Amino acid sequence: MSDATANGIAATAAERKPRRDIGIGRRYAAERRFKAYGIIAIAIGLAFLVMLLTSIISKGYTAFWQTEIKVPITFTEKVLGTPEQAVKSQTKLLMANYPQLARDGLVQLLGISADDKKAVSAANGLISSGTRVTLRDMVMNDLSIIGTTEDVWLYASSELDSAMKGQYDLSVPENRRPISDLQLEYIDKLKSQGAIEERFNWGLFTFGASSRAETAGLGVAIIGSFYMMLIVLALALPIGVAASIYLEEFAPKNKFTDLIEVNINNLAAVPSIVFGLLGLAVFINWFGLPRSAPLVGGLVLTLMTLPTIIIATRAALRAVPPSIRWAALGLGASRTQTIFHHVLPLAAPGILTGTIIGLAQALGETAPLLLIGMVAFVADYPATPMEPATALPVQIYMWANEAERAFVERTSGAIIILLAFLAIMNLTAIFLRRRFERRW
Amino acid sequence: MMENIQATLNRGPAVQAAKPIKMKTKDVTVHYGAKQALNGVTLNIPENQVTALIGPSGCGKSTYLRCLNRMNDTIDIAKVGGEILLDGEDVYDPDIDVVELRARVGMVFQKPNPFPKSIFDNVAYGPKIHGLARSKQELDEIVHTSLRRAGLYKEVHDRLDEPGTGLSGGQQQRLCIARAIAVSPEVILMDEPCSALDPIATATVEELIDELRENYTIVIVTHSMQQAARVSQLTAMFHLGDLAEVGPTEKMFSNPDDKRTQDYITGRFG
Repeated sequence: MSDATANGIAATAAERKPRRDIGIGRRYAAERRFKAYGIIAIAIGLAFLVMLLTSIISKGYTAFWQTEIKVPITFTEKVLGTPEQAVKSQTKLLMANYPQLARDGLVQLLGISADDKKAVSAANGLISSGTRVTLRDMVMNDLSIIGTTEDVWLYASSELDSAMKGQYDLSVPENRRPISDLQLEYIDKLKSQGAIEERFNWGLFTFGASSRAETAGLGVAIIGSFYMMLIVLALALPIGVAASIYLEEFAPKNKFTDLIEVNINNLAAVPSIVFGLLGLAVFINWFGLPRSAPLVGGLVLTLMTLPTIIIATRAALRAVPPSIRWAALGLGASRTQTIFHHVLPLAAPGILTGTIIGLAQALGETAPLLLIGMVAFVADYPATPMEPATALPVQIYMWANEAERAFVERTSGAIIILLAFLAIMNLTAIFLRRRFERRW
Repeated sequence: MMENIQATLNRGPAVQAAKPIKMKTKDVTVHYGAKQALNGVTLNIPENQVTALIGPSGCGKSTYLRCLNRMNDTIDIAKVGGEILLDGEDVYDPDIDVVELRARVGMVFQKPNPFPKSIFDNVAYGPKIHGLARSKQELDEIVHTSLRRAGLYKEVHDRLDEPGTGLSGGQQQRLCIARAIAVSPEVILMDEPCSALDPIATATVEELIDELRENYTIVIVTHSMQQAARVSQLTAMFHLGDLAEVGPTEKMFSNPDDKRTQDYITGRFG
């Protein structure tokens, strides 16, 4: 009897046992589905990234090489005047017909009769007219060169360069392509003589603006961007960190500080072109600072970067555990001592990361610089941040507007350089964070 | 429960002759915004004794403790009323420098919170900011003495330049005590110093507290009634923001006057 009762109780207990397996299959399925969505999302993102990089690199890598021709140049007194004359007055040297020297040398190299106007003109089209500067500098640096003959590597014209890189479709009729059959013949001849070579394009990093692709470079843009980054770093970091420390640690919580906080967050979302207008109105029209100057660009970018740095710094300060503050305060440290001895060092990696990301943003910013006139044809290096310069992204924008084939590859090449700078900055941010991050 | 505590008490330190009063508090009230957390606590803290504050969670004992060295100042919405005297001086007097007050009334927190610096720098920080050492030797002397008093010296003397955060929980808490001692405070406040420690580390810290009594006045908040019984000479029972009862520890655990104290120590609530 008692056995039966016991069995009965056991049976009801078994029936009442909660069924925890209800919907378990569905729950797992939902989880698998969600994971799949995530993987698909990442795959799409990666695919676009790969497409972007492939397109830019495949178009741009050739910009890092430039065709050059080795031409025997005779520095004749007929063109340059005698060294004695040059010592007295440099006018003749400055004004001399250097392209003629290059043309004569090439004509001689190719064995063309100097009377064959058509052939000479075709040969002349192979050399960049930028050779003027190269040859003039050689003579100005060393007057004893006058009267001698020397092999000089000269920049090829952008047409020859593009033809060498196989960027022209040679099957179209001669009159519809930028390079003639005669010129192609000359190229083959130069190749067989070993007088033509693709060499690393240092000019891409050192030249200023030029209407000829082969002598156009990012030099001025790199200097301009560098000046602006220095100005942004020197202004935005101390102002941003000081503002954050005040707001986070000292400011009373009232309507006024709430208003400031809302405004800082909103400023971070203001379109950058608005900052450009502000810079134009305030820095140029009101303060009377020069147009196109990296100083103005740096000031505008500082305004743009400040909210980013303030938000990152405040987050970093807030992430420092309160126990560290209590420990210092409990020992009798003042609030300032607590912040500067303990909180700030612990927040430093976060602040640095935020600053570098802000700088990277500023480095890639174009729109505000267009408004303050940094979109300009600047051939000479700016000696100070007050002199006209361009910036990397603006140079890319300007080159993208050029039609010539050689500028297309340079545009992509410049993008690669800009991306490389950004990658270096982001890697530095990661490195600094790893290096200085302390556990507590 | 009762027998347990009774047994502990019998092993505990004998109550000493009445000591002079170190800190006097009168009608201390604390408001957090509109909420009142302490409703007028009047308590005298005797010198060179351990005073334990017990009571259920949220009864205001930690709040009271944090009034004694004005740590409540760091909470914007906290408003403190009443009178708190340290050696007869009002600690909330506008002329009192809170920095100096906290050097005289040190604090040890619930969770060990060493600075992410070396063991040496942890202890040396307080003396440095208060200018207690005039030379490197003096600083070394202070650091070594403090570590010795905190019973940590033997364990760490050969690795003073290693990070304080690399120590075990119990060692970290003793490091925090050494850090508090290093500024030569008169009073040390301890807010549940053992709640994050295992029983063995707890026993070490408790022994340490008992030794420190010789030189310092100690106020300790604890959730463990055994701990209160083991280390303290005076016990104050808080309940819902009121001081329910205060008396010699022995009496509190054997024959409390207040019903709430009796219920609490016998485990009926809390």
